[in-house]
Parts: sequence; structure tokens; C-alpha cells
Amino acid sequence: MLEVLEALLSSTLEYFPALVFATLGATLCERSGVVNVGIEGMMRAGAFCAAVASISMPTPLGVMMGMLAGAGMAAVHGALCIHWRSDQVVSGMALNLVATAGGTYLLESLYGPNGTPPIQQLSRWHVPGLDAVPLLRVFSGHSALTWLALVLPLAFHALFYRTPFGLRLRAVGDKPHAVATLGLSVPGLRWLAVLGGGLLAGLGGATLSTAVLDRFEQHTPAGMGFMALAAMVFGRWTPLGALLAALFFSAGNALRIGLASSAPGLLQVIPQGVLLALPYFLTLALLGFQGRRTHAPAALGTPYEQESR
Amino acid sequence: MGEKLRSVLPSVFSVLLALAVCWCFIALTRDAQTATEAYFQMLRGGLGDWPAFLDGGRVALLTRPLGEAAIKASILLLTGLSVAVAFKVGLFNIGAQGQMLMGALVAALVGAWWELPGPLHVLAALLMAGLAGGAWALIAAWLKLARGVHEVISTIMLNWIAVSLVDNWLVVGPLRAGAGTSLSTTGTPEILPSAHLPRLLGDISRLNLGFPLALAVALALWVWLSWLRTGFETRAVGLGAEAARAAGIPVTRRTAEAMGLAGGLAGLAGAVLVLGTELRYPGTLGAPYGFDGIAISLIGNSHPLGVTLSALFFGALRAGGTRMQLLGVHKSYPELIQGLALLFVAGRQVWLALLRNRRRAPQASAQAAPAPGPEVPRA
Repeated sequence: MLEVLEALLSSTLEYFPALVFATLGATLCERSGVVNVGIEGMMRAGAFCAAVASISMPTPLGVMMGMLAGAGMAAVHGALCIHWRSDQVVSGMALNLVATAGGTYLLESLYGPNGTPPIQQLSRWHVPGLDAVPLLRVFSGHSALTWLALVLPLAFHALFYRTPFGLRLRAVGDKPHAVATLGLSVPGLRWLAVLGGGLLAGLGGATLSTAVLDRFEQHTPAGMGFMALAAMVFGRWTPLGALLAALFFSAGNALRIGLASSAPGLLQVIPQGVLLALPYFLTLALLGFQGRRTHAPAALGTPYEQESR
Repeated sequence: MGEKLRSVLPSVFSVLLALAVCWCFIALTRDAQTATEAYFQMLRGGLGDWPAFLDGGRVALLTRPLGEAAIKASILLLTGLSVAVAFKVGLFNIGAQGQMLMGALVAALVGAWWELPGPLHVLAALLMAGLAGGAWALIAAWLKLARGVHEVISTIMLNWIAVSLVDNWLVVGPLRAGAGTSLSTTGTPEILPSAHLPRLLGDISRLNLGFPLALAVALALWVWLSWLRTGFETRAVGLGAEAARAAGIPVTRRTAEAMGLAGGLAGLAGAVLVLGTELRYPGTLGAPYGFDGIAISLIGNSHPLGVTLSALFFGALRAGGTRMQLLGVHKSYPELIQGLALLFVAGRQVWLALLRNRRRAPQASAQAAPAPGPEVPRA
């Protein structure tokens, strides 16, 4: 029983960091009032660049290159959405399409269809005392990113709710004109949030290719960016909500993998396709259950114009 | 410059710029000659091998590529229209992929299981596929209207549910050809010949009835949206739900209808794919035509005629893309061009500003006075 629980927890912690980074990135961006459905594309860019960079440099540096790649995609999004006031959903979907086709093209022309060559995975931390404690030992043997993923939402919570910057960020997503009245730059704040969101999404992608796997594969991140969007809505656009929602989704995923591997007989009763659909179905059901009480920032999706009131 | 022209030009320029950027991309990774040659191959593969034909070749040199282009275009057109109709009522239908999957599955089942005389069988399969796609979309519509779940999130989730259930379970499990036996095939049984979409040119091209059907649907949508009352009301809801409600338009009903119609069109796309070319639901439907529909619709400005043009163009590009592989250029190129074009279309404001500048400049010099600077739509 204990082993099963440990296996589930361990599997949850494998899947969780990438999702929580992406969810936090989406939350940060959308709290400033800019819709970001391009998270999937930013993750893909991050995953690809991190893997490619890690071939020729130390992996932690590669992860940073991945983050920069995510921020690069976010810069395009920011230029279109903030500067040129384009439709934010369209811009995000365009980024996804470019990342999908461009990633496929670059991967195949540089390394062949299966994936990049294997790279040095991020080193895994074995905490000396923890290894011996039952249950707690699942926290040992992960990369530093897993620890970061557990701490970062708390840091963001503090940032959002305990600092002047957080107050301004939340205000710019709800009432940008009020922020402008205070003499603060609405585009400036939104740029910070969008670029920060891109860094985080890139980090999420880089986590997939450097910590979960040791390469970039054709289908990375396989829809995790869209899961992050759902987790963001489910977590009501808050950092702690993002943490819990990401934990919930990863646990669901771990449960699915765990069920499939530990009880093969179960697959005779419940087909694998149904198990695969389960997290998405649960999300839909929970969102439907959550109902009309929307928690989205009030100005989400509306481009800001200085002159309009 | 007319208002019409101004709404069309950004799309045209975006596509041209995407083509140019991709040319540079091939030129950088390979060399300039390969890039040019690749584009010529793409033209030949998409619009027919005219030089060889004029050299005394057979008609098939034209009809085969054109037929392939038409097949691709008909599916892109239907998914594009699906996204466009939802846009008109103010919804963003990211779920065309899932709706198309459902339509394709139902078309394959009706085609294989029912026994009906020829034309009736095709009709029944198309109809059922449309209904299946529509029903799948109505889930999202209900969640939006009754429970306030944003359609972008719900349609994304419905896509994943459809893929998981259909591709990972139904067509490899209970619905696969020879289910219950030890046969290890994937995909549903072949559809009966009576359910095949008839080929229009016999053996010299794979062109089938799906293409005129898709064109007819586009025309019907154009008539509906431009000339009929319910179409007008639908657009009014999309332009401003509150104003429409105040004007006495049944907003909820129009929204649900439009979303159902969008799903039906995507389902139809799946049916055309299955009944026209695949002839059964294969292990996986593969190409993400539903997502392509988003790009097709937006590049076509969500106008039925614009969507038709953009679908025809990208259909030809797709058909030609396979031909580029002869030069070792990857077949995902047309998709890259499509994605970049959408990205540039997203920057519509940039194009409009540039166009405005060009228009202002000659005027300013003619007046020989410091006219008010070019009006850039920016805060």
C-alpha cells in the first residue's frame, strides 16, 4: 500500500513542475489583462531550444536558453497584443501554429524525425536524510526544478498580494484606466507580465526536455500548454490556485499511469481511452460545476487605449 | 481605397509575406536555388504540371494535382467555415478538430453498417456526421450559456476527450474492423461502395463530390449571413450581445444555433474525408484539419467568400507541399506558411497603419504643407 502511494506521489512530482510553471506563466500574463492561449507554443519553443542548447552547453544554461525562447515568443505576443492591440486569442493561436510547424520542420531538418540526440539530464538531488524516511523519500531524487515548482507559487502569492507591484498588476488587469490615472504605464506593466509569463512557459517546456526526458521529441509538450490554461481557469487566476490545480491534474495523470501499470487487469474493464479522457472530462465537469462565478480579470482580452474611457 | 479592399489587403499581404519569409527560411537552411525550385514544385503539385502538359503531356498531369488540391481545399473550407460561423456569433471555436473527429467516426459507421441505396446512403452518412459534430459542439454551447464556461477552454477539453475516446479506444477497440476476433487491425471497417462520395472525373483524378458540396455550403452560408434575417441576427449577436438583446433578438437561441451549425460543418468535413478519400476511419485521423480551420477562417477574414479563397489557396499549397519532399524539403512547410500567415494577419493593425501611411504621404506632399502626421492607431 505504502509503495503504491509512494509511486503515485513520485509520479505526480515528475509531471507537476512543467505544468505548474506553465500555469503560473499563464496566470501572470492573464492577470495583467492579456489573454494567452499561446502557452503551448511558448512551451514548445522552450523545450526545443533548451534541448538544442544543452547539446553544446551545460544543461542549466540550456534551460535558461529555453526560458529566453519562451520569452521571445511572448515578445511577439506582446508586440501584437499590447502595442498593436490585435485580437489576443488569434495571436496566441498563431504562435501555437508557428511553434508546431516550425518545431517539426527544424527538428526534422536538424536531427531527424524522432527527436534531438540525448542530452545530459538535469542532475537529480538526493537529500541525505530524506532518503530513509518512508513517504517523504519521494521528494528525494528529483531535479532542482521540482523544488522550485513547489516554492514558486508561494513566492508568486507573496508577490501578487503583498507587494505594490502585485497590487498594480492585479489592478491593470481589472481597471487599466485607474492604473493610468496614477501615472503608471499600463503597457509597461503588461509587457512585464507577458514577458514574465513567456519566461515561465519556456521554463515549463525546458523542464519537459531536460528534467522529465533527456531530449526534445516530436510531440512535446503534447497539449500540456492547454492543460495549463484549464488549470489557470480552474485555479481562478491565482498562484495558489495554480499550485493546487496543477497538483490535481498531475495527480490525476499519475493515477492513470499508475492504474495502467500496477493493475493491468483494470484495462480490461476500463479502456485506456476512457482513462486518458478522464482528466479532461473532470476539468469540464468541475468548470461546469464552478458555474457562473467567474474570477477572470475584468479587463481580460480588451486592448488598452489611452484615450478611451 | 475602399473599405472592402482595406479589409482584404492585410490578408493578401500576410500570405505573401509568409511565402517570402519561408522562401528565405529554405534559402538559409539549404540554398536560394533549392528554395526557388521548391516553390516551383509546390506550384506544379498544387496547380498542375502545366509545362509538361503543354509539351504534349496527358490531361492527368493537370487533373491529378488539381484534384488533390480540391480534396484538401474542401476539407479546409468546411472546417474554416465552421470556425467562421462561430466567429460571426462571437464564439471562438477551437473545437473543430473534435467535432470533425466525431463526424468522421459517425460517417464511417453509417457508411459501413447501414445498407441503403446509393445516393440515399451518402446523404444519410453526411447528415448523421453533421448531426454528430453539431451535438459535440452543443455541449460547449450549453456549458457556455447555462454554466458560463468559456468556450475556448471547453472546446479544447472536448477536443482531447474526442481524441482519447475515439483514437485511443473506439477505433482500436470495440469499433475496429473484426472486433471480437483475434484480428489485430486498427480503424473501422471499410465503408460500403454505396456510401462512397462519387468521383467526378472517373479515374484520372481523385476529385469527388465533396468539393462542389463544400463550395455550395460556403455559398449557402454567404446568402444566409448576408441576406436572411436570422443570419443578420446572428451577426448582430456577435457584434454586441447586449445591444442585440435590447433589440429583441433571442441571443441565447442564436448563439446555440450558430455553435451547433459550426459543429455540423466540422462534422461534415470529417464525413467528406472519410467518404471521399479514407473510405473508413483509419487508426488515427492524423492531420489537424480542425486547427487549420482556425487559420483558414482568420486569413479569410471570417467571411464565407474570403474563407473559400483562403481554403482554395492553402489546399493547393498543401497538395503541392507533398511535391516539395522530392527536393528534401520537409512536408510541414505549407503548415509553417499557414501559421506565419496567421501570425501576420494577427498583426492586421500593422498593415492598416502601413496602408494609411502610404495613402497619407502623397496627399501631404501635394498640399506642400505639414499635414497632421500619419495617424498611427496607437496610444
